[in-house]
Amino acid sequence: MRTRAVVRASALITAATLALGSTHAARAQVSTCRRAETPRDIIDCVDRIMRGESSRGTASMEVLTENWSRSFEMQVWSLGTEYSLVRILSPRKDAGTATLKAGNEIWNYLPRVDRTIKIPSSLMGASWMGSHFTNDDWVKESRLIEDYDIETSFEGERDGARVWEFDLMPRPEAPVIWGRIVYRIRRDEMMPVWARYYDEDGELVRTLLFDDYRRMGGRLVPASMRVEPMDKPGEYTQVRYDDLEFDMDLEEDFFSLRRLRGGR
Amino acid sequence: MKAGHVWRIGWRNLGRNRRRTLITALGLALGYTAVVVMAGLSRGLVSEMIDNGTGMVTGQLQVYGAGYLPDRSIYETIGGRGGTDVGALLAEVAADPRVVAVAPRVFAGGLVSTGAATTSGVLMGIDPAREAEVSRLLTFIRSGRAPEPGRYEILIGAEMARQLDAGPGDTVVVVAPAADGSLGNDLFVVSGVFSTTVTELDLATAVATIDVIQELVALPTGRIHEVAARIDDPWLAPEAADAVASDLAAAGLEARVRPWTEFRPEMVDYARMASSMEWLLIVFVFGMAIWGVANTMLMATFERQKEFAVLLALGGGPGFIVRSVYTEALVLAAVSLAAGVVLTLPVLAWWSAAPPDMSFLYGGFTMAGGLMRPILRVEWPTAMIFLTGGAMFVTALVAAVYPAIRGARVPPADTLAGR
Repeated sequence: MRTRAVVRASALITAATLALGSTHAARAQVSTCRRAETPRDIIDCVDRIMRGESSRGTASMEVLTENWSRSFEMQVWSLGTEYSLVRILSPRKDAGTATLKAGNEIWNYLPRVDRTIKIPSSLMGASWMGSHFTNDDWVKESRLIEDYDIETSFEGERDGARVWEFDLMPRPEAPVIWGRIVYRIRRDEMMPVWARYYDEDGELVRTLLFDDYRRMGGRLVPASMRVEPMDKPGEYTQVRYDDLEFDMDLEEDFFSLRRLRGGR
Repeated sequence: MKAGHVWRIGWRNLGRNRRRTLITALGLALGYTAVVVMAGLSRGLVSEMIDNGTGMVTGQLQVYGAGYLPDRSIYETIGGRGGTDVGALLAEVAADPRVVAVAPRVFAGGLVSTGAATTSGVLMGIDPAREAEVSRLLTFIRSGRAPEPGRYEILIGAEMARQLDAGPGDTVVVVAPAADGSLGNDLFVVSGVFSTTVTELDLATAVATIDVIQELVALPTGRIHEVAARIDDPWLAPEAADAVASDLAAAGLEARVRPWTEFRPEMVDYARMASSMEWLLIVFVFGMAIWGVANTMLMATFERQKEFAVLLALGGGPGFIVRSVYTEALVLAAVSLAAGVVLTLPVLAWWSAAPPDMSFLYGGFTMAGGLMRPILRVEWPTAMIFLTGGAMFVTALVAAVYPAIRGARVPPADTLAGR
């Protein structure tokens, strides 16, 4: 209970950042991805959709659990894989709550008490704000192609679309928590359909669903992401993007504790 | 020959060589004392372990909502999502005659932060007055004081305080996911720092009053996670748990009641192991004593060869000789037991009343999750006092087997002729 509870404070931001990252990823992505031929290249392209260059956007997040459901509006900024900032705009009770990722550090700002607190690294695996994303989703800097051996497990038509399915098995020395990841990618759009995450015992732990491919900020992106934990049937966290901009003029000093607190 | 005469002969035979008898009896008596005192020490250690393992925080009996365990979800309060009448619940649990005190508790996972330093842990909401009757948690406060109801004060463990570099009077941020899905967060003043020396507790436990924690995590006053109870004789906890569970069920409350034997099974295992060690102790001590007694009896048998020869020549028969030797062995055991009891009981009485403080040799240490004080506590091992006495008689009887056979086989004519 302890650990789970603790980092819920950061998980909301995780979702938002992930979500935003997935959109701004698409920069130059389509053109380069179309040239990708090997499983490694393809996964690299999709993986980079989840990360990105500088960007800004607004998103909504809906969290449904067995005990409650909540919706948030958020504003998100990111710079590469190292920096991101998420600020909750609504509901009013949570407005102003913000999370900053700068390198390996995560800070939360709590407007109710006007304090910033640093999230310890030991809590990276826990969720944030009750969502089903973890801090680790947000903070991790490694890329799939560096940590996993990738093989094509299926190539053909599924649900009326041409897709690839890839099996990603962690390399022995890779510092990752998943025992296996299976990715489905639509060939025509080079867009992820879903990713399934398995633990070391081969049990499916969660599914990440991508949907609503749209042009935002001049790029094709999955505007909707939804994570479903397998151990909690019916629960999910869904992130939708309302608007996105890419290639913002953001510098590293934008992602400061002062900015976290709402300053400029 | 009358039985009384046989016993008298056995008693008189012990006087043939009083020094030898005294040494043998003293050896047996000291063996008795060693076994009983060691058993008392072993039970003292077990009692200390149970008292500290259950008395430090958990209590000897716990009442939870039916679905609270094992996940300890914040939502699974006693009485379900609607909660319960806490006062009535406490009264119901306290009504069991074995229950001495009860205390309500609320738990939440959370962060405690000074800003730059943040630790995670269990936030425990307590009623300080009741908690002091159930657990010794508040006695471990090393600086400051316990939090007071209605005030945003928090008592933190020493290791947490060290990591946060915080102490009494400092302000910390406490963050916890609330039952309504929001992120509970507020400023708390550190009222005190406790140190149990149990690292897990000192690092990952923060205590505030129950009303404050309920407010932080958006739980109404009727929703609590646990009622902890103290039972003076911890071995009565299982039957008390059954009775409380029945009472609560009869009152229409779906709850789970656990005695410490269920949530601390390792301590039960240790107690069982310690109990079996007492038997081993008997076997070892009296197993060695057998040879000493046998030697004494054998010497006596050799000295009485002519006496046995006369008795056999007069038609006494081997059975009479065997009975005579056995009688002597039993009288020796009785005398030794009397000496052992006289020696042991005052030692036990003194030791149990004033267990020596060994802190000059070693400090407190943790065992099975409980803090062990550096004292040599002794419990009265009532059963072992009698069992060890029985073992002493068995020892004497076993030791007399060979001497009795030798005595019964004395050839009367040759022995009397000096051949």
